[in-house]
Amino acid sequence: MSTPLTRPGATAVDSTDRSVDDATDRAAQPGGPQPVASVQDLTVTLHARDGAVRALRGVTLDIAPGEIVALVGESGSGKSVLGSSLLGLLPDSARPEVTGRVTVMGHDMVGSSDKELRRVRKHLLGAVFQDPLTSLNPPLRIGRQLVERTDGTPRALRLLTEAGVPDPERRVRQFPHQLSGGLRQRVMIAMALGGDGRLGATPDGLPADAAIDVAHDDDGAPRLVIADEPTTALDVSVQAQIVLLFDRIRREHGCAVLLVTHDLGVAASIADRIAVLYAGRICELGPAADVLARPSHPYTRALLAARLAMDGSRSVGNPLPGDPPNPMRPLPGCAFAPRCASATDACTEAAPSLDTRPDGRGVVACFHRNRDIDETVTERAPARAVVTTAAPDAPHALVLDRVSKSFPGPGSGRLRLAHLQLKVVNEVSLTVPAQGALALVGESGCGKTTTLRMAAGLSKPNAGSVAWAEGAAPPQLIFQDASTSLTPWMTVVAQVEERFRQRGVPRGERRDRAFDMLTRVGLDQRAGRARPRELSGGQRQRAVIARALASGPSLLICDEPVSALDASLVVRVLDLLEELREQLGVALMVVTHDLSAARRIAETVAVMYLGRIVEQAPADQLFAEPLHPYTRGLIAANPTTEPGRLAPTLTGEPPSLHAEIVGCPFAARCPLVVDRCRVESPALRDLPSGRQLSCHVVEPPAHGGRLS
Amino acid sequence: MAIELRLPESGVPRRWSLGRREAPRRAFHRLGRLGRIDQVGLALIVAITLLLLVVPLVAPHASLDNVGATLTPPGKGGFLLGTDEQSRDVLSRVLYGMRVTWFAAFLVIASGILIGGVVGLAAGMSGKWVDALLMRITDVFLALPGPLLALAVVSALGASLRNTLFAVMIVWWPFYARIVRGEVRSIMSRPHVEAARMGGVGRVRLATRHVLPGTIGPVLVTASLDIGALILTLAGLSFLGLGSPAPAAELGAMSARGLTYLLTKWWVPLMPALGVFLLVFVANVAGDAVRDLAEA
Amino acid sequence: MTRQLFGRLAGLLGVLAALTLAVFVIKAVLPADPVRASIGARATEAQVKAKRAELGYDKPIVVQYVTFVGDVVTLDLGDSLRTRRPVTTDIGKFLPATAELALAAAVLAGIGGVGLGIVSARGGKLASITRLAMLAFASAPTFCLALLAILLFYRRLGWLPSSGRITRSLAPPERTRFVLVDTLLAGDLKAFWDAVEHLVLPALCLAIGPAVAIGRVLRGSLLDVLRQDHTRTARSKGLSRRAVLTRHALRNALGPTLSMTGLQLGLLLSGVVVVELVFAWPGLGLYTTQAIQNADFPAVIGIVLVMGTAYVVINAIVDIAQVIADPRLQTSEAR
Repeated sequence: MSTPLTRPGATAVDSTDRSVDDATDRAAQPGGPQPVASVQDLTVTLHARDGAVRALRGVTLDIAPGEIVALVGESGSGKSVLGSSLLGLLPDSARPEVTGRVTVMGHDMVGSSDKELRRVRKHLLGAVFQDPLTSLNPPLRIGRQLVERTDGTPRALRLLTEAGVPDPERRVRQFPHQLSGGLRQRVMIAMALGGDGRLGATPDGLPADAAIDVAHDDDGAPRLVIADEPTTALDVSVQAQIVLLFDRIRREHGCAVLLVTHDLGVAASIADRIAVLYAGRICELGPAADVLARPSHPYTRALLAARLAMDGSRSVGNPLPGDPPNPMRPLPGCAFAPRCASATDACTEAAPSLDTRPDGRGVVACFHRNRDIDETVTERAPARAVVTTAAPDAPHALVLDRVSKSFPGPGSGRLRLAHLQLKVVNEVSLTVPAQGALALVGESGCGKTTTLRMAAGLSKPNAGSVAWAEGAAPPQLIFQDASTSLTPWMTVVAQVEERFRQRGVPRGERRDRAFDMLTRVGLDQRAGRARPRELSGGQRQRAVIARALASGPSLLICDEPVSALDASLVVRVLDLLEELREQLGVALMVVTHDLSAARRIAETVAVMYLGRIVEQAPADQLFAEPLHPYTRGLIAANPTTEPGRLAPTLTGEPPSLHAEIVGCPFAARCPLVVDRCRVESPALRDLPSGRQLSCHVVEPPAHGGRLS
Repeated sequence: MAIELRLPESGVPRRWSLGRREAPRRAFHRLGRLGRIDQVGLALIVAITLLLLVVPLVAPHASLDNVGATLTPPGKGGFLLGTDEQSRDVLSRVLYGMRVTWFAAFLVIASGILIGGVVGLAAGMSGKWVDALLMRITDVFLALPGPLLALAVVSALGASLRNTLFAVMIVWWPFYARIVRGEVRSIMSRPHVEAARMGGVGRVRLATRHVLPGTIGPVLVTASLDIGALILTLAGLSFLGLGSPAPAAELGAMSARGLTYLLTKWWVPLMPALGVFLLVFVANVAGDAVRDLAEA
Repeated sequence: MTRQLFGRLAGLLGVLAALTLAVFVIKAVLPADPVRASIGARATEAQVKAKRAELGYDKPIVVQYVTFVGDVVTLDLGDSLRTRRPVTTDIGKFLPATAELALAAAVLAGIGGVGLGIVSARGGKLASITRLAMLAFASAPTFCLALLAILLFYRRLGWLPSSGRITRSLAPPERTRFVLVDTLLAGDLKAFWDAVEHLVLPALCLAIGPAVAIGRVLRGSLLDVLRQDHTRTARSKGLSRRAVLTRHALRNALGPTLSMTGLQLGLLLSGVVVVELVFAWPGLGLYTTQAIQNADFPAVIGIVLVMGTAYVVINAIVDIAQVIADPRLQTSEAR
């Protein structure tokens, strides 16, 4: 380990009273303090079997000390490649071609020797990746993996505590698979914090820490943490905690954070500045508040418009037209031009360079930046007319009556006789009216998938009954992952055709009807004749929907229908489902963890926690006035694009069942918990206005619904 | 929510790495439904197969003809690889031997795929006790030393090529049963099978349209990697005298019979051995190519 | 974990039972007639019948099997048709030579395999050369390697002897029948060295195949591990490639490599037959070849039982080692 040449405290900038604006302004002004990381006109080309991928095409970005920069983009935008470039960890196998400069505290991260890069990574950088399960080495104990980074167990334990890992002494002796997802990610963060921010000397002999230093405690901290989609694999309530943890470590350790994310909401919650990346180029960069309030690039605007929010009224999102860019065939002009409403000939001829934004804060790459094109923001899609629910006496598409499902508990060796039956789903009753739309919302492990499988007839309940509309075809399931639910070696049209065959449609008509169905979901003949892997994610999702509809069901059950899709595609798929509901009169049951998607599509929303429905209400009422503390927590944990508004009330993680639950399942995490909650399980009460609630503490408003 | 490229080894977002080269290969696809397996490895195997097929046309002599002086060194008297102790052309005998070995290996592999495929498919698709029973039997076969059992079977039946092949077939199929069963299980757990079932697709159609095609690629990869190992086993058994009796041109046996000449007329035992090496080398190169391309 | 170990041991017993059954089936069902074989083709019908009764072949098949298992357990494998001695005696006589050879080869194969795997996974020119060499060696039949080794190291270079376990004049008094041990017990270093020289070529030829197979599996799983996300984490911590390979990847690659090692050590036993034939190594392998050539069926059965048992036991040991090596195979405690 290197000896620090500069003592902590001898600093030019004191992080404790540094405001966010300071950091932003410093980074924006030339001649400000030396950035911790600097990217100059970086291009990266990666080579795959199919050809060259132009991952980055001239990116320039400085990160100031202690600053949180969010790098926002959809898949294929090159945002992860930028993160890897800063770490000096571009994959060798892709034979990366790099031009431009990447420096971290003045150290070249492109041309330096492996040894030098390692030194920079060890002392100055930290990294947190998307999937905390695969990011830790399975057969090595947590402690051993941490100590490789922290040089010593006492420091490893301190960092675990700081990262919010309870009982660190026990955790260091465990293996990664014994930790929950949120804990694993906290371990990753502790590991990232293990750098000390001190390099003895730069290769040319100059003390690296001379220019700037941020107040460190004696342990030091890395100067820059690169977090690549750190919350994408986590539950909403855990996501909010982890996002805020990044904010805290920045405050306490003064390390800058590059937050790579696809989610503008996550970016908005803690970022000082936002860089929007599209097709390997930055299209807009500026202070988070300004970019979100006054987006000046059409793409940023479109992203914001496509975002599903949970406003008081029915949320709206404007679908982003066109296809995502192909990084193998970059366009000569503005990459966004084909999807841009205000594109002109100039846009397709040359790429616009970054220039000052109209409000003077930040930069934007658009020829039309000074033209006031607000229409995409103001002119939101009209809120869809709410489909009138069928008359009460119409047959229901699905009725779940007090269904329960149990699985054998974890068979610990010594207690095998006391084989515990764990109720994963506990007396759940749900009704989907004919042509209605119900969303079942909950985090991982709440039993929503088990409920869905029972509703679809894929597994039998241990108790209770499942009833579908009489005489109609059984419900069809739209699986979470469209790519695995299509038979890979059959063409799309053949798979749709097969459904008509099963229905007894004469051979001669099948193909035509299959193509008709595909047209209905927006797939042309060419897409129909393709095999699933030749299609894009959105097209596959459409194919799955077409295939399900070909069976003529009265109910479509969708398992996380949009969780695998890019933000710009989410709205389009949800709109398609809603359209089909109207046109074909098919009812929808959507199971999702995504509140905003539920908001968009459902008439009724049921919230599930540990196998039980805790609250059920018409969507408008539920989002306007959530009653159950869990629903409130979930809504609060959902990031919005208002900077700094994220204020999660949920602590802990969604538990998995380990033992029989006594009392209210939510009691352990509930902010309003009283003694009664721990001993007596609240019943699901019917409230006026058709709502249902299971809580001892919350009293429904007297006027039967809407608060003023 | 986006599935952002998690920067896999290729560093390429999946969406764009998929299916780029599909169009020109359509016909090939339909023909064999081989997935991403490329032709290179298969082409190598096909080439050597064709070459060995026409051995009777290209070999300079018949395998049993006495053609000149005994024990002529390689290159002398127009004999590229020399002659043996009974004045037979070593080159011709090696070529004939390679031919027999190569096609024998094909036969055993084909039988392995057939028997193993049926057992594996039955086990994988039925699940429960049928699966448990079939796989228990297969496991026991796999846990036993195949070459040794083959040796016992052949010595019980008497040495002949037919008996050797029979014995090797008995011990060779369980490997394929395992592979097929594993593939079938993993395909059966994919949502697309559940989707087909929900669409009312029956068992037979499910097996033939939605499950079986997915096993072909992995099985062919396995088989192409397996040819080399099988040829080595066959040659080893032949070397120990468990193959065609004396005059027949069989690589292992020729090498064993020529052992006495090793220190004086080295080409007599060595050339057949190198013939085996050549076959196995080609098979291994082809197998590696097939696997690499299938995995890429 | 104890439960899993017991499970593996129970499995071992099951497979051993299956081995006796397989051998019994070969013995009883296949058309070789052991009665004819033991009293000759010219015996009269009555003599055959008497012999049949004497050997118990007139009993029901289940009884025959039980008798057979009893015989196996009591180490009564019948008499060799060729040597006219009990097969057990013959095997006892030849086993030590084979064990010595196989052990030496196993050690060479293990060390060589791990070395080859790591070198070829590292990348660079050396790795490419190693890979090509491995491909070539994996393609050569054992007897081809043995012939080439004799031609090169004995005939051309004259460095090493080509047959037998030891120069006859130096043979030590037989005590353990392990020549290396016996020469040391006799305190005869010259003889010991002579025995080592005799051992080198056969052991090497026997070890190359398994070493390459182990090396290829190790390389494959190392590269596999290096492709995984946690490798990137390790590199982002500032670890060097080499540290990632040895500290992180090797641990992960242990599982597949171990099972391949078990398989290969088992297969090594059948390679022994070929190697002993070429190098005139007076062990079980040579005995097997002679038994095959003389249609000495009881001897073949005895050998298959002994080697098969060794194979099964080796694999069971490897299996158990795997359980110990992988924490995920052990029961996990609650979160």
